[in-house]
Amino acid sequence: MLIIIIIMNYIPTTKNDREEMLKRIGVRSINDLIVDLKPRFNEKLDLPEPMSELELVEHMTNLSQKNKIMKYFIGAGSYNHYIPSAVNHLLMRGEFLTGYTPYQAEMNQGTLHAIYEFQSFICLLTGMDVANASMYEGSSALAEAVLVSSSYNQRNCVFVKNGLNPQYIEVLKTYCEGADLKLTNEINENTACVIAQNPDFYGNVENLQYISEQAHRVGALFVTCVVEPTSLAILEPPGNYGADIVVGEGQSFGIPVNFGGPYLGFMGVKDFLLKKIPGRICGMTTDSKGNKGFVLTLQAREQHIRRERATSNITTNVALMALASTIYLALMGRDGLINVAKLSYCRAHLLHDKLRSSGFKALNKKPFYNEFIMKAPKGSSENISSNLLKNGIIGGLNLAEDKILICCTEMNTVQDIESFISVTKETMIK
Amino acid sequence: MKIIFEYDEEQTTKHVPDIDDKEKKGEDILTELPKDLIRKELPLPNVSEINVVRHYTNISRMNYGVDLGFYPLGSCTMKYNPKINEDLARLDGFIDLHPLSNESCIQGSLQLMWEFEQDLKKITGMDAFSLQPAAGAQGELLGIMITKAYYKQKNEKRTKIIIPDSAHGTNPATAAMCKFETITIPSDSRGNMDIYKFKESLKHDVALVMLTNPNTLGLFEEKILEISDLAHSNGALMYCDGANMNALLGITRPSDQGFDMIHLNLHKSFSTPHGGGGPGAGTVGVKSFLEDYLPLPRVIIKQDNKFTLDYTKRKSVGMIRYSYGNFGMLVRAYCYIRSWGTNIRRVSEHAILNANYLLSFLKDDFELPYNRRCAHEFVLSSRKFGEKSALNIAKRLMDYGFHPPTIYFPLIVREALMIEPTETESKETLDRFASALRSIASELKVNPNIAKGAPYTKSVGRLDEVAAARKPNLRWTTSSKSYQKKDSGEKDLFIEKSVSNSMINEKGT
Repeated sequence: MLIIIIIMNYIPTTKNDREEMLKRIGVRSINDLIVDLKPRFNEKLDLPEPMSELELVEHMTNLSQKNKIMKYFIGAGSYNHYIPSAVNHLLMRGEFLTGYTPYQAEMNQGTLHAIYEFQSFICLLTGMDVANASMYEGSSALAEAVLVSSSYNQRNCVFVKNGLNPQYIEVLKTYCEGADLKLTNEINENTACVIAQNPDFYGNVENLQYISEQAHRVGALFVTCVVEPTSLAILEPPGNYGADIVVGEGQSFGIPVNFGGPYLGFMGVKDFLLKKIPGRICGMTTDSKGNKGFVLTLQAREQHIRRERATSNITTNVALMALASTIYLALMGRDGLINVAKLSYCRAHLLHDKLRSSGFKALNKKPFYNEFIMKAPKGSSENISSNLLKNGIIGGLNLAEDKILICCTEMNTVQDIESFISVTKETMIK
Repeated sequence: MKIIFEYDEEQTTKHVPDIDDKEKKGEDILTELPKDLIRKELPLPNVSEINVVRHYTNISRMNYGVDLGFYPLGSCTMKYNPKINEDLARLDGFIDLHPLSNESCIQGSLQLMWEFEQDLKKITGMDAFSLQPAAGAQGELLGIMITKAYYKQKNEKRTKIIIPDSAHGTNPATAAMCKFETITIPSDSRGNMDIYKFKESLKHDVALVMLTNPNTLGLFEEKILEISDLAHSNGALMYCDGANMNALLGITRPSDQGFDMIHLNLHKSFSTPHGGGGPGAGTVGVKSFLEDYLPLPRVIIKQDNKFTLDYTKRKSVGMIRYSYGNFGMLVRAYCYIRSWGTNIRRVSEHAILNANYLLSFLKDDFELPYNRRCAHEFVLSSRKFGEKSALNIAKRLMDYGFHPPTIYFPLIVREALMIEPTETESKETLDRFASALRSIASELKVNPNIAKGAPYTKSVGRLDEVAAARKPNLRWTTSSKSYQKKDSGEKDLFIEKSVSNSMINEKGT
């Protein structure tokens, strides 16, 4: 019997092809093509043996099963919302999935059309005039907003209002260190921008008009950061309370929590910052016959043209995630999105009230949206968390001094909330 | 095609339940929120699911990807993206995992990240990797931040970064983000970085030398070892822009070429899909003396074979983005490496074979500015066909059913056509592409106007980029509503392009 050995994954070239190709080039072997390459690595790489698709499925399934998926009452930057099935079906279309940045517009009108819609959605939700085609994720989008501000007013200090997601603060510090900018405790004539998250890390919702006025009084820009964007279905767009730049995380819009990425950074700005905005922007135009079409535009801001004078180095963004959120928003529609926001709000308030009557102390000083912070009875938070975990529940993010940051979305059913309460009560009795 | 906002139906499809009777009902549920903060109007459309699905399916048909055909976009490595990796990255155990879950719940993902790091170390010869950066450009940013922190720690004032003129625009753009000054070194007649100019510029204020190898001309830097030695003896670090790693897998290791740092674009060499412009991932590898500068947390293995996230500070530059990286892309790239395993060298060998084969057909009809064998890609010049010929050739290629190459890059080649076939294309495809380009070359000689009017067969004709920039229309607004046809709905989906375009013609901004 003939023994068949397949060693070439995803390469269609046959042995005959290879010989003909080498002959055409005029060399005897592939080695002759790489004589300029120094130094050569002549050993075999110490990687595992190749796997067939079947073996790979088995290996990966085993690995994925070492993770434990829970009922999440935790947010803190990643929100577990329902994703309609159609989102993934459409994303998986090879036309979208396997194309790249639409440099050649006539060939990629699909991606451009979707980017234009995405930009429109972001503008409508945030109250900004212009949005770009996406940023990597929320925290680096925020850092880029700081760079935009500093480049706009040539100032080098940044003021962050309390309540910014701690990971976002870390990322901000990293970028500021790189760019020679300083985080400061006061707002003055050196302040490039004032940053406030709304709803903040603890879920607090606030009218930030007064912060915006403080920033503008000294000529600083006001940057609003939105990490849980379903809140925008029921809350005023930040543009209405004075934001000059709105950045944030779009993961809640149809993108799975996926262990932290890929997510969806977004950035919207007021018109006067148009030339400062980083990244791709899609615009509508016409073709030679006057038909509508879309192109990437205002590219003179970007690295491939401006090099060291570019507004940012961003190139690859997260186009597919932007598409996911665009499809999500289209599928949910106005009514569906409002419903998601109201359900998230109601479930969070239901759990909050029940925990308060079970002996937890409410710590939010302002109204909250779908996330809140409570203090468990002294010394009990660790036990409560581990008992919840035993019951398949991640009961929030434990902070210092028995404080727990808890989140609900439409995925946390009333029944789940009741199990949360009963496990908590049992733990406290013990 | 309509814009999604031009559909507005009475209802949307029910994807989530209504608010339960047990919960507070109706409009008054938001009582606790400040009145001045409750949104008065949410101007989003309601669209039925069938119309959403048709809308995006129809839009997708105006797009082109590797799944449809040849996509030789130079410098982007548009190789086939294995379907199985899409399925495996979507396993429930991965995709539904909250990043802040307890450590006992995330062992599978940590193990994957740890093993992936080991694989990348072996492939590049580096000693440690950060999986955090979201794209190549963010990897570069991390590399330059590490450089800055390294010299700060050493108390040395070095303010300049050396970059050849053939480099990607991201290199100087990233240097500027970290307030470094760029010294641009010209290329010599063989397409290498000019070694004499390099030596002249290599003073004690130089922090970093950033090179792409093979460079963007698709040529191996012939004096790489000498360059590394000179840089190191001057006290500067060597950074490899790993965008072209697809030429190197298993054939050489960037560490052996003297690089101290490298970023790898997982969406290029490691086959994660480009998604229309991302997400990608730009993992960064460093030599051991720079390991402590990598972002936190790091995944480490404990004695009991459990994995943990290590937040020990050491000299870390800090976090560069939320969470641990574009995890979903790490899964796909890990699967790709594991499917190739010890045979991964074949990828680069065939990428180089395909590029040289294609070049053999084209170098006579076009100009090859640096007459050498190429690595995994090559750059031709169409300048003999006149100004804007590269653009016209690109547009005309669309009519032959191919995605155009990268054009006008690198900047040092006039009328540049940068062609990267990748290893996943068959000889037959390369033959067809070569004959298409040669046929366009003949056309250009006989009647250049044909190419000037191209494309003729796509969903739109040549688009006016100047008008787009002069009068930017960057979003749909409610005032555009006046252009909406009242009786729209599904009927519209069957109307030919010309008709539907005229329907939304001249929509205001």
